[in-house]
Amino acid sequence: MSKKRPFSKDIVLLEDIPGVVDKIITKMRSDVHDVMRRYGGVVGVSGGIDSSVCLALASKAFGPDKVRAVMMPEQDSSPDSEMLARELCGKFGVEDLHLENMTPAVAGFHCYERRDEAVKRVFPEYEPDTWKMKIVVKQSGLFNNLPPLFKLIVIDPDGNEEEEMLNATDYMQIVASSNFKQRSRMSMLYYHAEAMHFAVIGTPNKHEQEQGFFVKYGDGGADVMPIGNLYKTQVYQLAEYLGIPEGIIERTPTTDTYSAEQTQEEFFYQLPFDLMDRFWYGFENGYSPEEVAKVMEETPERVEALFLNFERKRKTTEYLRMSPVRDYYQS
Amino acid sequence: MDREEIKKGVFQYVYDNAFSSKENITDDVLIFKNGFLDSMGLVMLITHLESTFGIKTSDADMVEENFESINAITDFVIKKQEA
Repeated sequence: MSKKRPFSKDIVLLEDIPGVVDKIITKMRSDVHDVMRRYGGVVGVSGGIDSSVCLALASKAFGPDKVRAVMMPEQDSSPDSEMLARELCGKFGVEDLHLENMTPAVAGFHCYERRDEAVKRVFPEYEPDTWKMKIVVKQSGLFNNLPPLFKLIVIDPDGNEEEEMLNATDYMQIVASSNFKQRSRMSMLYYHAEAMHFAVIGTPNKHEQEQGFFVKYGDGGADVMPIGNLYKTQVYQLAEYLGIPEGIIERTPTTDTYSAEQTQEEFFYQLPFDLMDRFWYGFENGYSPEEVAKVMEETPERVEALFLNFERKRKTTEYLRMSPVRDYYQS
Repeated sequence: MDREEIKKGVFQYVYDNAFSSKENITDDVLIFKNGFLDSMGLVMLITHLESTFGIKTSDADMVEENFESINAITDFVIKKQEA
């Protein structure tokens, strides 16, 4: 049995990147071709780092002619993303970027109306056509024992911001409405997959999977998730190795969910990804709070609270990762 | 409403909304640290306290000391009502 390495700031770094890439693409090929009996993969590209790495891996696993890249913007999406996605496809030989405007589908579910109704209950002066909005997590909970709370921020056309803590009803309505976006995209990806007899390549990374930062049957709905067990630091290592365009690597990861620009850190994680990676590694590999605290220049008490927080987060989001329960009767 | 009535109301809410091991809930047990309520539970608890006890919570109130146990929540509600 191998001995556990001493905890260090570099502990999450991959040492053999070509070897890891080779293992992933070999398994993708085996899962998609041999097990699922599909000819290739469909990747929903956003112009972000995770989907870009997935596209590059799929291109290497199946060949670029067996990969379909689909971009699915809706009215709140960043307009910069398309150019980056086209550059990405060009780089990996994926011939066409299929652009699907999701706004009519999402609007068909009354996503925007339902969301704006809740926003207006908090800020009656909010004008959806000219104002922007986002939800941010209140920065306090990660190092203590109180779960995070959520704030709604609205920004008027002059850039003035107002914020208010969200009550349960308004928060749940805004989130439930916004989730139509990810679920509509999942439907579109399966349209393309079924039309080509391909599999859907899911793009969530390890943190999104394990901390529950995905929409069940939305971006969590896929056939394979090639980076689902990789820390964000490792995804960046793969991106550099694979030659993902610099414009994508340098971009701050956003949620692409609300009309105002919103980082993943302010919406969910509350920590920069490099710190989150190290703490999570320590947590899931059984390092003591004392050992992690020493390296990370923290107090053991705060790291212990952080680990408890991680444990609770994993437990409370288990529902998202569960398949439908069906073992109710055994004949 | 006196302290005992408020505490009874808070206890009942936490008891009704905890998902497991309800028998271990006491006035001093750390309800979030021990996982009786999760993050959505906190959001719903605050909504409940505001509508039931006529208080308004602010950002500054959102500290562990005010919400860690049924006793702490009771003290917090009384403090807000008296403010």
